[in-house]
Amino acid sequence: MLINEMIIDENGVAFIPSLGISFQINETAKEIIELLKEGKTKEEIVKILSEKYERDWREVYIDVEDFFIKLKVYGLIQ
Amino acid sequence: MKIAISGLNNTDNPAPGIPVAKSLKGHNLIGLSYDPNEPGIYQGFFEKIYLMPFPSVGWEDTKERILEIKRKSNIEAIIPNLDAELPMYIKNQNLLKDIGIKTFLPSLENFEMREKRKLSEFSKKLGVKHPKTIEVISLDDLIKAVKEIGFPVMVKGNYYKAYIAYNLDEAVEYFYKISNEWGFPLLIQEVISGVEINYVGFADGELLGGVGIKKLTTTELGKVWSAISIDNKELLNLAKKFVEITGWRGAFELEAIVNGNEIYLIEINPRFPAWVYFATALGINLPEMMVDLMEGKKVEKKLNYPFEKMYIRYVEETVTDFSQFTTLLTKKEL
Repeated sequence: MLINEMIIDENGVAFIPSLGISFQINETAKEIIELLKEGKTKEEIVKILSEKYERDWREVYIDVEDFFIKLKVYGLIQ
Repeated sequence: MKIAISGLNNTDNPAPGIPVAKSLKGHNLIGLSYDPNEPGIYQGFFEKIYLMPFPSVGWEDTKERILEIKRKSNIEAIIPNLDAELPMYIKNQNLLKDIGIKTFLPSLENFEMREKRKLSEFSKKLGVKHPKTIEVISLDDLIKAVKEIGFPVMVKGNYYKAYIAYNLDEAVEYFYKISNEWGFPLLIQEVISGVEINYVGFADGELLGGVGIKKLTTTELGKVWSAISIDNKELLNLAKKFVEITGWRGAFELEAIVNGNEIYLIEINPRFPAWVYFATALGINLPEMMVDLMEGKKVEKKLNYPFEKMYIRYVEETVTDFSQFTTLLTKKEL
């Protein structure tokens, strides 16, 4: 998965070294990407974020699912 | 060593000559030009400039001119950088050697193997995908080819120019545009979507140096204007395999498109690309490697370079006496 090689710089720009493509991401996206790189599943990420930010897991799930679709569209995850 | 370099056009459709010359600062350089309007003539890299007969005139005229330049400036090596002149230099590399002029070029067999119209076959040997490509020499062929491939298609010249056509009108327009300038055959190629990446390499039977990039912005002709260095193992392996299979000697550029897990080979250029100075600036001076090997020196293999470095072209101006231009135009040397 391309996401495993992603490097995020101090400007919040994520770079894929093998393809030279980059994406501007926000803090939440950065957090999800870091959790993904640690090998966490979508469900685990939803649980971690909903507990951390004290939000209903259903609400968090919708946002995480939306972000996963974006990652797939960009070919960053399978 | 006194080295002659061609390809001095340094406009927004740049030839590789000036980046090669920039990489060889410190050597005595002679510029070989086809047109006094080429900006590289006036950039101060060359101790002398000679106008050359066009390659289309034939080898005999070029040979006479080279002998004259050898006599006047005692050149010891030539680095030809233009697609149109390469076949001529490759065919006559032994003759040049006999008159004391070194080159570092691939064999004619290798040069022909990677030609655009033969790349489908060659890609199979490399174990890499290649977009479906059909050679055309007439309007009838063009219509059949676009029916088979479906729009959009790339309309490509065998040496220069490539345009994307979204309908038959555009395809016909580009068919005439390219063939009027560069002749036949043309190639009609399937469009592969994905990320386009490139590799410049230098080899002597084994890959000795190279750098991979992704173009960030391009000119209207698709020439790189800004780029970023990348670390792509598949591209590096493709370059190694290409050199291994052919026993390639000299410079080359691979153009590829990555689509998901697939890598498509689009083109192999048998020379330095015009962005070769990017590699030099990253510490991998491929023209210098070439000159070192010409001089019989050993070269150190250099395949590691920093990635995420950005390359940016910019416009610069210079002012010179008009008499320089007219001298070159009339006396054929400056």
